[in-house]
Amino acid sequence: MSDYQLIIIGAGLSGLAAGIRAARFGKKTLIVDQHYRPGGLNSYYKFQGHLLETGLHAITNFAPPTRKKAPLNLLFRQLQLSRHDFPVREQLGSEIAFPAGSLHFSNDPDLLQAEVERLFPACGEAFHQLRRAIAAHDPFASTPWRSARSFVAGYLKEPLLENMLFLPLMLYGNAEENDMALSQFVIMFRAVFEEGLFRPEADMRAFLDLLVGQYKGFGGVIRYRAEVEKILIKDDRACGIRLADGSIFTTEALLSTAGLPETIRISGWQAPCATYSGKMSFTETISLLPNAVRGSIRQDRTLIFYSSSDQFSYRRPQSLQDISWGVVCFPDNFKGVPHKEFFSIRVTNPASYPLWRALDSETYAQEKTACRRAAVQASERYTGPYGQAIVHQDSFTPLTIERFTRKAEGAVYGSPVKIPDGKTPWSNLFIAGTDQGYLGIVGSMLSGISIVNRHLLT
Amino acid sequence: MNRNEIRDVLLEIIADIDEEADFAGLDDHKPLRDQLDLDSMDFLDIVMELRKRYKLQIPEDEYPELATLSSCVNYLEPKLRHI
Repeated sequence: MSDYQLIIIGAGLSGLAAGIRAARFGKKTLIVDQHYRPGGLNSYYKFQGHLLETGLHAITNFAPPTRKKAPLNLLFRQLQLSRHDFPVREQLGSEIAFPAGSLHFSNDPDLLQAEVERLFPACGEAFHQLRRAIAAHDPFASTPWRSARSFVAGYLKEPLLENMLFLPLMLYGNAEENDMALSQFVIMFRAVFEEGLFRPEADMRAFLDLLVGQYKGFGGVIRYRAEVEKILIKDDRACGIRLADGSIFTTEALLSTAGLPETIRISGWQAPCATYSGKMSFTETISLLPNAVRGSIRQDRTLIFYSSSDQFSYRRPQSLQDISWGVVCFPDNFKGVPHKEFFSIRVTNPASYPLWRALDSETYAQEKTACRRAAVQASERYTGPYGQAIVHQDSFTPLTIERFTRKAEGAVYGSPVKIPDGKTPWSNLFIAGTDQGYLGIVGSMLSGISIVNRHLLT
Repeated sequence: MNRNEIRDVLLEIIADIDEEADFAGLDDHKPLRDQLDLDSMDFLDIVMELRKRYKLQIPEDEYPELATLSSCVNYLEPKLRHI
């Protein structure tokens, strides 16, 4: 008799969603996480008395509760949570800023259509046709990899517009360099441009509390500060885990949300780690500003995706941080958010994990400070000046991401090669989350749910 | 359970799965999926809930039996007769 029927590695959003599903239908379930709080990539921490969120800029896939087939509502039904317990705030509107011009978009997809027609009059009809092709495409069919770049170019034939559309979709959910799988592009296009962006009315802590509460309410057990050192294999089956403190828990089935490279390492899976190590990682600088300086800062945008060149290539930079493109997030600029004493601005730029890794600790600290300054300066062109008004500032690098989330090389979107069916060489060990293929908060939760539904419930 | 009781249990399970479910005008002979705008993942929940409540195993190839409310009742009647 095993200790548990299911052990889930990782209390991030995919692990929590998987845990709720399993526990809801009576599986004796244990979730383990190395960190002392849940959330994984999308968590929070206290800094100088302020609660700061990590990961989350905005949640994609906005839908009102009445649109039943929308991924967000399906997700809530699967977790037996009510949308009424989760009040949300929609984005004010966002922007894609290139030197040649800007495209504005909101949760009304007609706005983006009108903006494309304004900036690229010759492309209006082609963009409309592209949207129809995206609506008709089934991204969940198991088909070989297809280039999203070629697909989009086939409709638009306007490289600048193509770059502008790819910037937010790649930045918010592409593990590959340069190109993107068509299926992933279709998922992201619908999630960002057709459905739209929102955030919880409360903070990430409240959302995680809701999920953990639901999981525990169904009888699920969760252990923090529980670092898995080894997945125990016996007779070609995963039979348990050994934690760093030496304790052992046995189980009938295992679900790992730690990402492929980490799962390969702790299971002894004979697979090439390099193939499954994503190269896209980021630095992020969070600045807290007094409410008094709001007047000199852009207030009508939630996100500004920017590129200082009309050429945009999505790849690991040759420097610690590349400030030529990135995204600026205003976590307070959502509809109906009351003004508080402070507001924050977050700037995210691509970064190189190996270059950060190579630094000694003193240089690392110096470079981190220098990169913060550079990121703020680059963003001021789009936000208005705020560098002098910063009260508190913090930042993370690819190393920070790796340390807290176990995502190898700080690759937030995981492996460029996904495992859509979640299977491993062991019949009762599965993977879910980023490396199964769905990304973002809604996507990763649906990943956890779908793997449990498919392999562990029936 | 008789046919009416089974029908009530099914509606209760669906209401539990989908708080937005609107049963007004529900036709017992038309597909539930279209009328209530449900996804195949929601159907899995009906199956799982029946299993949880009545220890009833419904094999995947018999899921089509659950298409309409009346086909559900027909299918479940012999299985739940003694409950």
